[in-house]
Amino acid sequence: MLLAVLICNSVGNILVERFNGVPAEERMHWRSFLVKLGADNLKGARNEEYFVASHKSVYVVYTVLGDIHLFVAGKDGYDELALVEVVTVITTSIKDSCKKTPTERLFLDKYGRICLCLDEIVYKGILENTAKDRIKRLIRLKPPNEI
Amino acid sequence: MAQPLVKKDDDRDDEAEYSPFLGIEKGAVLQEARVFNDPQLDPRRCSQVITKLLYLLNQGESFTKIEATEVFFAVTKLFQSRDIGLRRMVYLMIKELSPSADEVIIVTSSLMKDMNSKTDMYRANAIRVLCRITDGTLLTQIERYLKQAIVDKNPVVASAALVSGIHLLQTNPEVVKRWSNEVQEAVQSRAALVQFHALALLHQIRQNDRLAVSKLVTSLTRGNVRSPLAQCLLIRYTSQVIRESATSAQTGDRPFYDFLEGCLRHKAEMVIFEAARAITELSGVTSRELTPAITVLQLFLSSSKPVLRFAAVRTLNKVAMTHPMAVTNCNIDMESLISDQNRSIATLAITTLLKTGNESSVDRLMKQITNFMSDIADEFKIVVVEAIRSLCLKFPLKYRALMNFLSNILREEGGFDYKKAIVDSIVILIRDIPEAKESGLLHLCEFIEDCEFTYLSTQILHFLGDEGPKTSDPSKYIRYIYNRVHLENATVRAAAVSTLSKFGAMVDSLKPRIFVLLRRCLFDSDDEVRDRATLYINTLGGDGEVVETDKDVKTFLFGSLDIPLANLETSLKNYDPSEEPFDINSVPREIKSQPLAEKKAPGKKPTGLGAAPTGPPSTVDAYERLLSSIPEFSGFGKLFKSSAPVELTEAETEYAVNVVKHIFDGHVVFQYNCTNTIPEQLLENVNVVVDASEAEEFSEVARKPLSSLPYDSPGQTFVAFEKPDGVPAIGKFSNVLRFTVKEVDPTTGEAEDDGVEDEYQLEDLEVVAADYMMKVGVSNFRNAWESMGPDFERVDEYGLGPRDSLAEAVNAVISLLGMQPCEGTEVVPNNSRSHTCLLSGVYIGNVRVLVRLQFGIDGPKDVAMKLAVRSEDEAVSDAIHEIVASG
Repeated sequence: MLLAVLICNSVGNILVERFNGVPAEERMHWRSFLVKLGADNLKGARNEEYFVASHKSVYVVYTVLGDIHLFVAGKDGYDELALVEVVTVITTSIKDSCKKTPTERLFLDKYGRICLCLDEIVYKGILENTAKDRIKRLIRLKPPNEI
Repeated sequence: MAQPLVKKDDDRDDEAEYSPFLGIEKGAVLQEARVFNDPQLDPRRCSQVITKLLYLLNQGESFTKIEATEVFFAVTKLFQSRDIGLRRMVYLMIKELSPSADEVIIVTSSLMKDMNSKTDMYRANAIRVLCRITDGTLLTQIERYLKQAIVDKNPVVASAALVSGIHLLQTNPEVVKRWSNEVQEAVQSRAALVQFHALALLHQIRQNDRLAVSKLVTSLTRGNVRSPLAQCLLIRYTSQVIRESATSAQTGDRPFYDFLEGCLRHKAEMVIFEAARAITELSGVTSRELTPAITVLQLFLSSSKPVLRFAAVRTLNKVAMTHPMAVTNCNIDMESLISDQNRSIATLAITTLLKTGNESSVDRLMKQITNFMSDIADEFKIVVVEAIRSLCLKFPLKYRALMNFLSNILREEGGFDYKKAIVDSIVILIRDIPEAKESGLLHLCEFIEDCEFTYLSTQILHFLGDEGPKTSDPSKYIRYIYNRVHLENATVRAAAVSTLSKFGAMVDSLKPRIFVLLRRCLFDSDDEVRDRATLYINTLGGDGEVVETDKDVKTFLFGSLDIPLANLETSLKNYDPSEEPFDINSVPREIKSQPLAEKKAPGKKPTGLGAAPTGPPSTVDAYERLLSSIPEFSGFGKLFKSSAPVELTEAETEYAVNVVKHIFDGHVVFQYNCTNTIPEQLLENVNVVVDASEAEEFSEVARKPLSSLPYDSPGQTFVAFEKPDGVPAIGKFSNVLRFTVKEVDPTTGEAEDDGVEDEYQLEDLEVVAADYMMKVGVSNFRNAWESMGPDFERVDEYGLGPRDSLAEAVNAVISLLGMQPCEGTEVVPNNSRSHTCLLSGVYIGNVRVLVRLQFGIDGPKDVAMKLAVRSEDEAVSDAIHEIVASG
């Protein structure tokens, strides 16, 4: 299960958060934990350099993309390597939506489109799509190219 | 937390023109949402409003029920628009709003229409939305469409239906299970992701059918799996099948091992790693099987990708717990990871090295860790401290270096949990390694001089009171303890007063000086401190003279209460303040039996300060007091050993009974702990009738029945046997629980007057040779062996016959003798052909015994053993050989 996808800006303000299977009362802790993880480790990191952490049986893979910090947490089948797949497809889709490495402004300008991409990538905690070209067409309700 | 989690609109002023959502207000956006009701819809404007709503929702903003309903109804109007972009937003918005059951109906007809649309993309999205918001009744209506969708030629539609199936399986399993033919077909799909989702769903549907899972795995491991993600799933399912099937007895081959090994050469790293991990987790994995997996993991250790390094070191860390030798080849790569920027990786590398390192590498490792500790977080430090504690117990000769390390980090900054972990470790080392005692106590004394945690200070003071008086120079600790009386809060001051009095009680020469200090405490500002000082001055007696302290006073100071604290608490709560003082003798002494799961926790070591000194009265001490309070047994002399409870009934039976064997020189007492689990019954005159016909040397001499055993209130009955003095007699006893049962009226809780006699068969019980041996370890076996000398050494060789493995043979002999394995020699490295195991113990009659076992195994798994015994008594050395010869 993909427990959380969280996107924030470089000072920790939340831009998007999607939790699955995490009780409401635990979300605040996860939010703080992930933002702190980013604050501690992402300063000076290269774009799309992947970082990894684990807390008990939960894995977290996170990265920086322009002004944006992206965190993905998962457990069971979604271990660190599966999460890398998820992070890769999300970062590619964000870049695709913004046409380049996003600034915070650009990210917010394309907010609706990015939400749609996330909706195609993760469906209630399960990875649904991984191909960026297909996602790009799906959010416009166009059938994928291979059809 | 580094930064406050504030909403984006709380940004600083200098970013005023930064966000398109600047100044966004929920109320205003809800007003804007009225555009959804316009007769002439503006798709662009509507999409913008939906984006704002999404932004609010994604920031954790919540809508009231009324607000959510209003927005939901307004959004459903947007189905009128033919704009494709807007429709996509509408699907997302409905999912985000998660309408309630009574609202869903408004949107189902529109979604059903989309689900039958000719446009594939409408179908896929409608399926996802419908499955998200649907309930069971609607599901049966749309089931036909979903089954079709699973085998749809458009992979997006098929995936949507399959992923929905995975979710629906949790809530409506009986419906989804009917789809297995379609899902089976989808597993063969040429679309990679469809195959992935279908495989996941099919496995979930069939997970309880081992044969079906095995067939699925067999067919797919031969076939073509298209996506790495699906391949990873297949590897996991294959591991499950391997776990459940036996290795071929003839060839020794493991089914599917070749498939796993083949996956190590897959082009996707994810698959390689999954296969390597699966191999390392195989039960009873051999070195030959492990080698290729360890090789790829070793390559990952030097990968440029942190995730791969992390995955590899995490897996190797687990392997090191069971096969430390297999991981030693990676030690050089792991040492370079100690300086990894990712602290999780560095910590895992360190703890793995601590597990795989040998005695000679300890000093070098400690040097590396010292530099590393300063820049990791507390949670990582705790992991390292725990690893060092295990290392020290493994190599007791290295205690000096490791204890120094612990004391150094104790002086550095750190939170409560971290400090507690260090203190616990030092305490455990003091307990297990006698040579480490004095230096360890001094480190603890220095720590409380500047300790900010009241809990730790009081616990250390308590521990000092128990251990300090037994050292060669107890007076050196007094200064540290008395300083607490001046410098600390009332809780710590009170603890310090208790500790001082313990020194006074145990060390007669210190008594006059302790009296002076205690008298000063009479003027403390806190009443608890004053009360304790008064109490101890009066109980110690002798008015400060150098006199021996009364035995009763020592028992009072050092003994536990002898009453379960939970019982005392209940009695105190029930006590009505009156003229009549509270009588501590009225508190029931029955120990509430623990839940079975807790009881069965095997060989749990004391975890530090909290555990041993104030442990529950299940220790030998408490048993001794319990037995001596029963007149029938008071003449049996000193209790030598009490066994762990042995269950005589299965879990969840009407009556739960376990037995503790108490061994005396000339007697054995069985303590039957009984629990009545039927609320409608009261048992009276409860007895265990023991048949000792298969225990010839034992004859029953006394018994103590239990007069009443109400529901869920455990009680004890005892039976005592006489046996020849000092002889380790063995035998088998059959047991029957006999009692009078009375019906209890559940409404009033009153029992009927008349009862019926009844009995209940219990399991048999054995007294074995190991019952006469106490597990007492030595820190340095070689020294102990040399100092014992060869005077009463007896050596002989034994054939143990065919065994599954060397480890099994070693464990069998250890449990036969009931002795304490030393220096970690009970662990047999995988596939070794020979092994030496060192044991230590105290035999009945308080005779120290040391045993050196040398094992060898030949081709057909025949195990031979050389047994060398040294003890303080020739007869005991012979007795140990006799135990092995007859075992």
